[in-house]
This record gives sequence, C-alpha cells and structure tokens, in this order.
Amino acid sequence: MTGIPIQHEPLGRRALRAWFDPRGRGVGLIGFAFNRISGLALFVYLFLHLMVLSTLTMGTGAWESFLQLARSPFFIVLDASLMAAVIYHGLNGVRATLVGLGLLTSKHKAMFWVVIVASALLWAYAVYLMLFVF
Amino acid sequence: MQKLVDQERAGGTWLWQALSGVGLLILLGLHMIAQHFIAQEGLRSFQDVLAYIRNPIILVLELIFLLVVTYHALVGARAVITDLGLTRQQGDTVNRILTAVGVIMVVWGFYLTWFLATRA
Repeated sequence: MTGIPIQHEPLGRRALRAWFDPRGRGVGLIGFAFNRISGLALFVYLFLHLMVLSTLTMGTGAWESFLQLARSPFFIVLDASLMAAVIYHGLNGVRATLVGLGLLTSKHKAMFWVVIVASALLWAYAVYLMLFVF
Repeated sequence: MQKLVDQERAGGTWLWQALSGVGLLILLGLHMIAQHFIAQEGLRSFQDVLAYIRNPIILVLELIFLLVVTYHALVGARAVITDLGLTRQQGDTVNRILTAVGVIMVVWGFYLTWFLATRA
C-alpha cells in the first residue's frame, strides 16, 4: 500500500481514489478499475445507441443522413473507442467470472495480461475491418 | 441476520451478472455479425434494416439482447454507485431510479422494434 492517509476522506472520494490511484496497486485492481470505466462508457453508449436507432422512426432521409455521419472520421474514432471498451470489458468479464467462481485464481495476474494482449489484437483486427474492409 | 441475507442476495446478483455477461458475449457476437459484418459497408440501409427485422428469429434475438444488456448495464451501474458508500435509504432510491431507467430503456427499445417490424 501507499501509506496515503485516506481513511478520513469522505467515502465517495475514497472510493474514487480506490479506483483511479494506480500507486501500489496490483494488476487485479487495475483490471477492476478499467472494467468499471469501460462498463460506464458502455452504459452511456447504450443510451446513445437507442437514440441513434430512433432516427429510423423518422424515415429513410434521417437514417441516410446518420449513415453519412457514421462514415466520418470522428465517428470512426468513436467506433474504435467503443470496440476497445467492448472487447476489454467482455474478455476481462470472463476473467473476473472465472476468478469469482474460484477457477484459475492462482493465475489471475497472468490472465490479466492475456486479456490485455488478446484485447489489443482483437481491437487491431476490428479497426482494420472498419478502415479497410467496410 | 440481515447481513447474511444481504450477502446471499449480493452473491445471487453477482452470479446473475456473470451469467448475463456470458449471454451478452454470445448475443453481442451474433448482433455484430448480423448487423455489421454481413451488412455491406458495415451498416444497413433503411430498407435493409426493415428486411432484417422481418426475420422472426432475428426479432426475438434482438429483443432478448435488449433485455439482457439492460439488466447487465443496470446491475453494473448499481454496483458502481453503491460502492461509493450509500445508506440503505439512498440505496433504495438508487434502486428505484435504476429500475425506472431500465423500464424506460426496455419500453423504448420494444417500441422501436414494434415500429420497424410493423413497417417491414
């Protein structure tokens, strides 16, 4: 631990520090923090996705306008960020489930790095598809 | 005794969260393949969306996907919020707000699906 005197802080601030202060933390806690950050991002995206799909109720013109916007560089960057969050959250979720069920608990650190490498590879493939195939 | 009940409930919630997460991996995979990988240029035109939703298997899968993703997102958000340290009363308020958010999302998604399916 870092020895930072955090016990007198308000609970909310202490919880935020527990998430975002990487000093003296193991990979398990860093993985946990990333999982929650990506989860919150996906929660926000879920609303945005429903909002975007709602343009379908406005007819062909509104949907075609959205499709044009979706092919802009800004949207592609957003999509790439979304893919990173989805891939990491999914793979780390599998790791957390295995550890939570008492499976491979002694290998949880190694599994974290497997998750990071597999996420990076899958994300690179997804970005390649977005940029060069679709 | 209340603590034991709370712990048992938390364990059950964790298990359902894990199971819904595994389910989402499958449903999201199917959604991505059907919606983006098969579709030309990665996105469907308006007519293609209507044709897609006309398939009853796809329709059911998309509705299940909506229910599971909403459940998973809300339970996850609740875990994040309650970790900030809430009283029981605040926790109950959070539960009510998140339940309302979930109902709105599901009704919104079902309405959208119904709207498209009836025009297909």
